[in-house]
Amino acid sequence: MSRHSPFHERTAALCTSYRWKEWAGYHAVCSYDTSVEREYFAFRHAAGLLDASPLIKYDVRGPDAAAYLSRLSVRRIDKLAVGRVVYCCWVDDRGHVIDDGTIARLDEDAYRVTTGEPELWWLEQNRRGYDVSVEETTHRYGVLALQGPSSGAILSAVTGTDLTGLRYFGLTSARLADRDVLVSRTGYTGDLGYEVWVEAEHALPVWDTLMTEGRAYGIVPAGLDALDVTRIEAGYLLLGIDYKSAPRCLIDAQKSSPYEIGLGWMVQLDREPFIGQAALRAEKERGSEWALVGLDVSWTALEALYERHGLPPSLATHAWRTAAPLYDGKRQIGQATSGTWSPTLKRNLALATVRRGYDRVGTRIEIETTVEYRRHTIPATVVDRPFFDPERRRS
Amino acid sequence: MSEKVIVIGGGHNGLTAAATLARHGRSVVLLEKRSGLGGLAAPFEIADGYRVPGLLHDTDRFRPAVARALELHQHGLQWRETPRTELGLSAKGRGVLLSSNREAMAQELQQHSPSDVQPYHRLMTFLDSIRHIVEDLFDSPPPAPAKRELGEAIKMLKKGWAFRRLGAETMIEVLRIAPMCIADWLNEHFESAHLKALLASPALLGTWMGPWSAGSTTTWLLDELTRGRAVAGGPAALVDSLRRCAEAAGVEIRTGCPVRHLQLENGRVRGVELESGETIETASVLATTDAQTTFLELIRPADLGVEFAERIANVRSRGLVAKVHLALSGPLENTTRPGSFERMRTGEHVDDLERAFDAVKYRQISERPILDVWVPSLEDSSLAPKGHHVVSILAQFAPYDLEGGWTDAARVTLGDRVVDTLAEYAPGLKKRIVARQVLSPADLEGELGLTGGHLYHGEHALDQLAFLRPVFDCAHYRTPIEGLIVGGSSCHPGGGLTGVPGWLAAKAL
Repeated sequence: MSRHSPFHERTAALCTSYRWKEWAGYHAVCSYDTSVEREYFAFRHAAGLLDASPLIKYDVRGPDAAAYLSRLSVRRIDKLAVGRVVYCCWVDDRGHVIDDGTIARLDEDAYRVTTGEPELWWLEQNRRGYDVSVEETTHRYGVLALQGPSSGAILSAVTGTDLTGLRYFGLTSARLADRDVLVSRTGYTGDLGYEVWVEAEHALPVWDTLMTEGRAYGIVPAGLDALDVTRIEAGYLLLGIDYKSAPRCLIDAQKSSPYEIGLGWMVQLDREPFIGQAALRAEKERGSEWALVGLDVSWTALEALYERHGLPPSLATHAWRTAAPLYDGKRQIGQATSGTWSPTLKRNLALATVRRGYDRVGTRIEIETTVEYRRHTIPATVVDRPFFDPERRRS
Repeated sequence: MSEKVIVIGGGHNGLTAAATLARHGRSVVLLEKRSGLGGLAAPFEIADGYRVPGLLHDTDRFRPAVARALELHQHGLQWRETPRTELGLSAKGRGVLLSSNREAMAQELQQHSPSDVQPYHRLMTFLDSIRHIVEDLFDSPPPAPAKRELGEAIKMLKKGWAFRRLGAETMIEVLRIAPMCIADWLNEHFESAHLKALLASPALLGTWMGPWSAGSTTTWLLDELTRGRAVAGGPAALVDSLRRCAEAAGVEIRTGCPVRHLQLENGRVRGVELESGETIETASVLATTDAQTTFLELIRPADLGVEFAERIANVRSRGLVAKVHLALSGPLENTTRPGSFERMRTGEHVDDLERAFDAVKYRQISERPILDVWVPSLEDSSLAPKGHHVVSILAQFAPYDLEGGWTDAARVTLGDRVVDTLAEYAPGLKKRIVARQVLSPADLEGELGLTGGHLYHGEHALDQLAFLRPVFDCAHYRTPIEGLIVGGSSCHPGGGLTGVPGWLAAKAL
């Protein structure tokens, strides 16, 4: 039995498509409309409002919280200032990624950790020797992701505070609908965007105020399908799709290190001991076997392929996540794990894991494509990630 | 190879390890937290003028191989030549006088339970036939079944071959009985309930088992098959000779020197920081503290692998033996049999043992504890004022995690139950008590730094012995931390005054 998010009353009334899915034990809207376009374009051209309450949250408190989180994370957390958020991943002893998410420093000794999967067992297991408490607070807060170019203006209007000065990955408290909320400049769309954190019992007035005041700015309630298109355009990973959580893998071959999933940039090796340090150091010296890349799948080749079958080219209207093998000639050299047609860029994009040597930008490989139940390959090119990266995301 | 080695812990294993290393030319500093050496083998003061020569009773498991290697006879070690006897106390009859001398034992059984004489001889013959296998396992590092090395494979084959050479019948018998409970196995042999209770009870020391617990036959075999001659003067005398040996070899011994933590750098030992703030640089540390103390207290959590730490934390180390010491104004007289006996034991039926064990499952003190009683002042009259005596009692069972905690009242309850139980066989006892000392498992933890107050640094059990002791990746004394060797009772072959873990660990370094 899935739970209802604190915004369920509102989202359920609006979800005329009845398209729902399960997200971390909650009912979550895939799309309010039967197609994803309106919600997608709200994210890119106005503002989309997404109920992100199911996001798994842990509050970590205590005098050793900074040291504890630093030991757990591949990057330093003790240097994180109050009011800042950091994107991070966590690995096991052998340097295999368990999960990725954010850590926000709420206060001197208080942090909020968000993860893709439930990780309380792991947070608890590593508490030994540290004066910290870990509490799951997922159900306690409603979270709204307000993402898109007009998100800053909307939030400034409803809070009566100029939030355009809030730096990327910054966190501040504010008043919204006469309630205390936290606003972080974070998101999963790769655009200008914010997340609003409110105690569950105050959730509905916050939603109502945003929807009412946001109308003038083109606010649109958006679901997970639109989010998926934007996160691929932004080149963001999805746990369970683009990589697998190590403790949930059945075989070692399914596990990945941060270097192998494009998160090597965040690994800070030379500091106090942290979990996985030795393994990651060794991998850095040795070089990784796999790399995560962005692919631009040839549209002209796809068109030609369909034409051979006497068909017009056809693409799903939303993102796909059924992995497709990648080839160099006959040799399989990896797999594309998720992809989408980018309505903004007008390109056919995919996130992929490839063997070492195939990760350089410009490398041409082939991706399996099925047309009329027949397998074919069409060319794809390794390109820079993120695919879509507007100035306003960080500025 | 002359760089300095720090040995942590001045118990029998620490001293053995330090002496072994120093005799191999290493420069050794031994650090002991307490003011005196010996740990569980150290003399313990009961009251002014009264002391016991060690918290553990038995020295007859100290391995002759270790004594020979260290030439302890040159440092004052003397074996007792008289057979070890132990009186099984009985309220009604004459009890049973166990003896390590087989003729004496057969004669005793002839009196006590004639139908058990033949089975006794048969059992002894069986034990003799497998003794060399157990001794060999005991005196050498455990097999390493997961290691892919030719040398290790050959060692395993040799051990396997020796085992196979026992003959099919004996080999299968060993495999059959190893996972059995001791009560079932003894029932196959003997009739006398009292005899079975007396034979069974040593299997329970250092375990979390009753006589009906699976696997207790293995702990029984390990105990029984590694017994030899005792050390004259008891544990304290053993510690004395080890200390002299270590000093003669040049070990620098520092007592009253608690270690705060090990300093590590990139997973390697770099030094030792003392509670005093002093640091000693070294690349090699041999720790004889128990596994949980070594890895979870002396090493900072950040320096340890997550999975490894979790396995160490899961090592079962639930103390359930209490020590009760009595100072008496006269001898400890018993109604079972005339005369003075240095060793006595209660428990006339296996059910008595099991019932006593039942209590700890529910975090209670046994109503009638099973007592292993030692009157060391019979051998060494200097332990008490003239004419007076001291009694050392290992009382089973008293759980570490007693419901309601180890309050003063709980200690009094335990002391009363022990004295009441003993007084059933020694009516004059209570009038002679000059002083009484009760050490619960919690006290033993506080006094000696034993995790869970466990006398054997972790329970003996099928999954916590040999290459699984304390956990598989440090069962061969080397640990995931470069430069750190472990060599306390947490390691193969386990607890008790054997000297073997320290000896084998030193050899591994």
